[in-house]
Amino acid sequence: MNEKILDEIPYIVNPRKDTGLFNSKIGIWLFLASEVMLFGGLFSGYIFLRVYADYPWPERVLPILPGLVNTFILIASSVTVVFAWAMLKLGKWNMFRLFMGITIACAAIFMGFKVVEYKAKFEHQGVRLADYTILEGHLHAADVDSHGHIVHDSHGHDAHGEGHDAHKGHDDHGNKEATTVHTSVNNIIFDAKKLTFDLTKVDEKYLETILEQAATHDAKVTFSKDVFSQSEPGVKPVKIISAGDELSYEKLIAAKEAFVAARTHNAAERTAELRRLWKESKAENEGVAGWKQAQDIAIDTDKLALVPAKSSISATVEPHISFVFAPQKVKSYNASSLTRKDGTMVVGSLQKSPMELGIDAVDFTFLVQQAEEMGIDPDDAVEKAWILSHSPAVKAAWEEHKKHVAAIDEAYFQEALKKTDGDEEKAREIANHVPEVEKYRMTWKDLVRYGSHGEINLQWYDGFKGANHKNEEWAAHFPDISIPREQIAFESKFTPRWNNYYAIYFTITGLHGLHIIGGAIVLGYYMFCPNMFRKNPTWLANRVEVAGLFWHFVDLVWIFLFPILYLM
Amino acid sequence: MAADSPEALKKQLKLYAAIGGCLFIGTILTVAVAVVPALDFGDRGFSQGDLVIGLLIASVKASLVMYIFMHLNHEKKLIYLIYGMSGFFAICLYFLTKLSFIDPIKYVGFFTGGE
Repeated sequence: MNEKILDEIPYIVNPRKDTGLFNSKIGIWLFLASEVMLFGGLFSGYIFLRVYADYPWPERVLPILPGLVNTFILIASSVTVVFAWAMLKLGKWNMFRLFMGITIACAAIFMGFKVVEYKAKFEHQGVRLADYTILEGHLHAADVDSHGHIVHDSHGHDAHGEGHDAHKGHDDHGNKEATTVHTSVNNIIFDAKKLTFDLTKVDEKYLETILEQAATHDAKVTFSKDVFSQSEPGVKPVKIISAGDELSYEKLIAAKEAFVAARTHNAAERTAELRRLWKESKAENEGVAGWKQAQDIAIDTDKLALVPAKSSISATVEPHISFVFAPQKVKSYNASSLTRKDGTMVVGSLQKSPMELGIDAVDFTFLVQQAEEMGIDPDDAVEKAWILSHSPAVKAAWEEHKKHVAAIDEAYFQEALKKTDGDEEKAREIANHVPEVEKYRMTWKDLVRYGSHGEINLQWYDGFKGANHKNEEWAAHFPDISIPREQIAFESKFTPRWNNYYAIYFTITGLHGLHIIGGAIVLGYYMFCPNMFRKNPTWLANRVEVAGLFWHFVDLVWIFLFPILYLM
Repeated sequence: MAADSPEALKKQLKLYAAIGGCLFIGTILTVAVAVVPALDFGDRGFSQGDLVIGLLIASVKASLVMYIFMHLNHEKKLIYLIYGMSGFFAICLYFLTKLSFIDPIKYVGFFTGGE
C-alpha cells in the first residue's frame, strides 16, 4: 500500500533535482509563509490598537508566572521535537517515541496553564465608575432578597447569573416573607410594572427568567391588550391573544408570526407600488438618469391596502415585583426603565442594586487622562474621586501611595542634584520620575503593602501568580466596597469586552493555542506509525521534520507573544 | 538536512541542547530586565529602553530557533526565497495601519459625489 502511494506521489522521499528539496518541505514552508503573514497581521493590529488607544493601555497587568512557565515548556518541546526527529534518522524508534511523548506532554501542560490563565480572567471583575476611576477585584456572593437587600453576606467569591437558587426567607426589614437568591452581588434589581416585548427578537431563555421569577413571587404577568392576526385587508381579523391572558412563549410566538405575516403583506404592497411608480416615471422621463428619477419617487402609504403590523406587545405585572437581572443580559437602564438584550423593555423603578467588590487594584489613570483633556488639574480630580470619599481603606492606601511616590521622586531628584552640582533647575529636567501608570495606579501589591503598614513587604518576585484572593494574609488587605448602581458606568469580567487589550490578547493567544493543539495531534499521530518506520523510515523522518518545522514556528510566535503581552 | 552521517547527527544533538539552554537563559533575561528594578533600562517602569531590549532578546531567541532548529543555516535557495517573501509581506502589513490616516472615509452624497 505504502509503495503504491510512493509511486503515485512524487518527491516525498527523495528530493527533486531542480529544487534539491522534497515536496512536503516546500509545502510546509509555503504554509508557514502564510502563517507569518497571519500572525504578522495580528501583531500589526496589536501595535495599531496600542499606539492609537484613546485610554491608558494596560501595561504589565498579566501575572507573569503562567506565561513564563509556558515559555519554558515550549522551548523544552522545541528541543525534544528536534531530538525525536534525530532519533528517527538514527533508526531508534523507542527513543523517537520517548522524545515525541515528552513533546506532546509539553503541549498538554501548555494548554493546561492556558486554561488556568483564561479561567482567572473570566473570574476577575473590572468596573469603570462614572468618574472614570477603574476598580479591579472579585465579586462577593450573598443572599439577596427580592427587594435588593443583602440578607446574609457570605463574602464568598461566587459568580452566578440571574435568579440562582431562589428560596423563601425572611426580609431583614420586617416579618413579611420574601424570596431570596444566593448570587454574586452584581445584579440589577428592577421593580417592574409593565413589560414590552420586541416581537422581532423573542428569545425563550430570556423569557424563562421572567416567567420563573414571576412564579417564584406568585405574581401574574398578563397581556395588556387584545392582539389580532390579519394577513390581508378585507379578511376578518382573528383574535389570537386576549387582554388578561397569561404571558407564555407560545403566545409570543403566535404574535410574532402574525406580525411577520402582516409585514410580509405590507412589504409586497410597497414593492408593487414602487414598481408601478418606477415604470410610470421611466415612461414619462425618457433619457433622464435613473438616480435623478429615483429622488422624485415616493410612495403614498395611505393609498396602499396595508394591514396593522405591530412589532411589540405589552404585558403587566400584578402585583408589582422586583426582577433580578444579570447585568450581562441588560442592554441599558435608567431610574425608570430597563432594556434587556432581547429587546424587552421593563418599565418601573430601579431598586438598590449594589455591586459588592473585593478590590485588588485602583486605577486613576483614565480619570487623569479625562481630567487633562478637560483642562482640570489631574491631582485635584483624583482627590475628588468617588472611591476616596466612600472607602476609608482605599483613602488610607491612597495617602500612603502618595507619600511613597513622593519619596521615590525626591530620591531621584537628589540623585540628579548630585550630577548637576546643585543646579535644581537642571536636576528637575534630567531627574527620573515615577511614571503616570505607577503614580496613579495602586496595584494589589501596593494595597497589601499599605494595608499591612509595611509589615508585609512584597518583593519583585512575589506574586508572579497575580492577585491571589485565596491567600488570606494578602486578601485581608483588599478593601471591600459596595458600589451603588448609578456609580457604575461600565463593568465586565476581564474578557474581550473589557478593553481592546484583552480582545487582542484572547485573539492572538487563542489562535496560538489552536496551533498548539493542531500541531500536537499531528506529531502525536507519528508515534503510532511503526509500520511506516519499518517500511520507509526516510519518509517518516521527512514527515516528522515537516511537522517539526510547524512546531518550531509555533514556538517562534510565542517567543514574541510572551514579552509583548506579559512584560510590556 | 542538518547532518548526513550518524556521527554528525549526534554532534548536532549537543548543539540543539545548547541552543535550548540559550533560549532558557534568554527567557530569564527577558523577565529579569522587566521585573528586577536594578536591571530596569531607561526611565522608571516600562519605557522605550525596555521595549528595545525586550524585542532584541526576543529577536535573538527567534533567530536561534530559525537558524538551528528550523535548519535555516543551511537550507536551499527556494526556502530562503519563500521565507524572505513572507517576511517582506509581513513587514508591509505593519505599514497598512498608516493607510487609516491617509484614507479618511467621508460621506459626500449618495449618487452625486458631493454637493
